[in-house]
Amino acid sequence: MDVQVKRGLLDVCVLAAIKNEDSYGYKIIKDMKPYIELSESTLYTILKRLETAGMLTVRSAEHDGRLRKYYHITGTGLKRIELFKEEWKEIMSIYQFVIREDQ
Amino acid sequence: MTKQEFLSGLEEKLSGLPEEDIRGRLIFYSEMIDDRIEDGIPEESAIMDLGSLEEIKKQVLSEIPISKLVKEKMRTRRRLGAGEIILIVLGSPLWLSLLIATFAVVLALYIVLWALIISLWAVELSLIVSFMAAVAAGIVLLCQGRGTEGIALIGAGLVLAGVSVFLFFACKAAGKGTVILTKKIGKGIKSLFVRKEK
Repeated sequence: MDVQVKRGLLDVCVLAAIKNEDSYGYKIIKDMKPYIELSESTLYTILKRLETAGMLTVRSAEHDGRLRKYYHITGTGLKRIELFKEEWKEIMSIYQFVIREDQ
Repeated sequence: MTKQEFLSGLEEKLSGLPEEDIRGRLIFYSEMIDDRIEDGIPEESAIMDLGSLEEIKKQVLSEIPISKLVKEKMRTRRRLGAGEIILIVLGSPLWLSLLIATFAVVLALYIVLWALIISLWAVELSLIVSFMAAVAAGIVLLCQGRGTEGIALIGAGLVLAGVSVFLFFACKAAGKGTVILTKKIGKGIKSLFVRKEK
């Protein structure tokens, strides 16, 4: 897959992983695993990028005697997901046009 | 490898990156290992899952923009004394021109490389054109009843066609090689910034 496309997809996937409830690194990777493979260093980069873009916030909470970072989606992050859904509709209609030739 | 060994190994591998970035990543990986262990995965395989240190380093490098690496290198340098600044300014006609000259030479070499490839393709194109011309001329001669000359010309044309097939693959390989070389040089420049810092 094209690197730029994959990057954009991964960003949205991570946002979707924290959409319903705050989550932490390991859980995000585990939740995404059935759909898309993600390495730790990539996840770190994505989380940093999304934080800088104001799409999520980070808080440290104590868990089992150690600190764990929880990621919380912001309004901007939710908007990004909505935008993705809109974009995808367009892409799907383009896809329909492309495969039309095959039938 | 234990968690501690992994983390200190990683710290060493990433040295030269922005300090904050290294700290952030170490905390992140530490949490990842703890969470895996809590999930029932033994420490050893929890660390294996993360990949080798070398792999991680490569991935981190490919994800960090080169501008950030350069900026970090500039920032971590100690402050220059007044004397040094004066020297740098006074010496600028010398070092600046040397720097520009070095850059120009490297750029020129790179352009020459591509020029070479373009000329290879030009030869390839001329071979194909002469092949077609020779065969056409040969046929014309045959029609005029000059059989021997016609066949000789067609034969020469076919030889040219054969050579052009060989050259085509050579041209393709050369172009591909140069593209790979370009990427390698880019990566090399990136790792230069990381390795030098210690």
